[in-house]
Amino acid sequence: MWNLNGRARERARELEQRVSDLEADLVEMRRHHLRLAELTDLTQELLVPFASRDTDRIDAAIEAFRRSL
Amino acid sequence: MTSVDNAGIRLVAVADRPLDVLFDGRRVWSFWSRRDTGHDRLPRRLVAWPAPLVGALNGHTRLCVREHVSGRVLLDQEVQLGTGGDRIRIVGRSGALAGLDKSGRLTATFESRTDDDVVPLLDAIDTVLSLLNDLGVKPFIAYGTLLGAVREGRFLGHDSDADLAYVSAASAPVDVVAESFRLQRAVVRRGFATFRYSGAAFRIDVEEGDGVLRGLDVFAGFMNERRLYLMGEVAADFDPAWIYPRTMSTLEGRSFPVPALPERLLASMYGPSWRVPDPAFKFHASPRTKRQLDGWFRGTSAHQAAWQRTYSGLRKTMPARRPSGLARRIWRDIGAGGTVVDVGAGRGGDAFWLVRRGVRVTAYDFAPAGMQAVAGAAQERALPLEARYLNLGDRRGTLVEGAALAHQAGPRAVLARHVADATNDFGRESLIRLASMALRQGGRLYLDVWTGQGTAPTKLSPVPLDALTDLLRAHGATVLEAEELSGNPNFRRDYSVGRVVAEWTSTPDAQG
Repeated sequence: MWNLNGRARERARELEQRVSDLEADLVEMRRHHLRLAELTDLTQELLVPFASRDTDRIDAAIEAFRRSL
Repeated sequence: MTSVDNAGIRLVAVADRPLDVLFDGRRVWSFWSRRDTGHDRLPRRLVAWPAPLVGALNGHTRLCVREHVSGRVLLDQEVQLGTGGDRIRIVGRSGALAGLDKSGRLTATFESRTDDDVVPLLDAIDTVLSLLNDLGVKPFIAYGTLLGAVREGRFLGHDSDADLAYVSAASAPVDVVAESFRLQRAVVRRGFATFRYSGAAFRIDVEEGDGVLRGLDVFAGFMNERRLYLMGEVAADFDPAWIYPRTMSTLEGRSFPVPALPERLLASMYGPSWRVPDPAFKFHASPRTKRQLDGWFRGTSAHQAAWQRTYSGLRKTMPARRPSGLARRIWRDIGAGGTVVDVGAGRGGDAFWLVRRGVRVTAYDFAPAGMQAVAGAAQERALPLEARYLNLGDRRGTLVEGAALAHQAGPRAVLARHVADATNDFGRESLIRLASMALRQGGRLYLDVWTGQGTAPTKLSPVPLDALTDLLRAHGATVLEAEELSGNPNFRRDYSVGRVVAEWTSTPDAQG
């Protein structure tokens, strides 16, 4: 009986650990949303003026983007 | 028996109720009689004066403590606090009468404002609502503003800002964040100053009639299946028909859009007892909700609020004249005519010392109020010091500033004094990324960090030298120096400081 309880306790501890690991893994996964959005936003805002190869437009786009943060 | 002294307020409380504290008839603070009090001599309980009030408590006042809901008065008498002879005046930074808002900040709450005072805020709500409408989202008033409108038809007296929200058509957090970025940019183009709290919330600053700066918060939400997530406190099973189509509600005599069934959203925000006034309400998002909203949207502003608070009262004060050892070292290496990028410039003391010696300086901080005095002094003297906002927690800022710096010609150095130890892993990586971009044409990065020995400096976390040099090398840098300064006979700090000097060579394979 004692052994069974001991095993059950051990199993419960193991499962608790797995749940908290899963939670931590999920947090890591969720972070990608924000970082991907940052990169997409920046790339999109600067690619259009960059495509024009017009230095003044590129400078103006960089300056406008800096102001918006 | 309720009494008041320099330590705080002592009272007997059996039931937990919200209480208001009035100075000369004006509410400045609210607290819960049990939740916010601690043990005192039995049967009494004590609540200490909140830190933002302490400085002002020197004089006399007619002090009243009363129950917020029933109005029952527990104490109403003339009291003397401290030794001052004048009447106590609780004012905010702008000099206007102030109280503690729900976040414990000393600010001009709505109860101290006249009808004329709130007109610019109502106008601003109108402007921003129609702007957001034009941009394709369907905004409504939310949180305290919604509660005030639905329950009382006016702003809550103890509130200090206005909240707007919308539920995005997108269902993935990445798209919700990208949309929030786009909206902020459009608001900036309209001429408003803004500040981003997280990937799903930003603030719009609106100046009121008498110069009081009022924040208008814009929160993003989204639905996934039949669950609503709304920054910054809500995750609930929700019927989309409870939000859209919107209906209208009256706030301060004007009509504003609210969710289809505002009481459903209010219950999700404030719990089932949202109809009972509570000026000291505290949000209690579940651990799961907090993990979700934190993971998707937050983490862009580690320690930023603390630094902003530290600097907010120092806008007009010049920093100490003495430069840091790191600034002197850079001056010896680079000399007049060079360019220094000071990342995490703080009060701007080093930046000002360098610019006066003929160095062109770009000074960055995520709490730029700290270097406002220095920026003003440099401008008066026509010195080439550019003070700019940069938050290393937002990758966009790092990349766009890096791109702008890579553009500039001339010998240069990046100065990063107690920055790598004032941020987190992401911020350290951003710092090194910024340096690698700024120094792609040559120049060096100079870093001072607390390495973990001695008395912990405030707001810093230790960074071991080898961890820093590993990170630099992983980003393509060549480490030229890495040493503990504590061994130096002239070293006079009670904590250990390590210094690293690194550079990037401009070969194509040395991409940071």
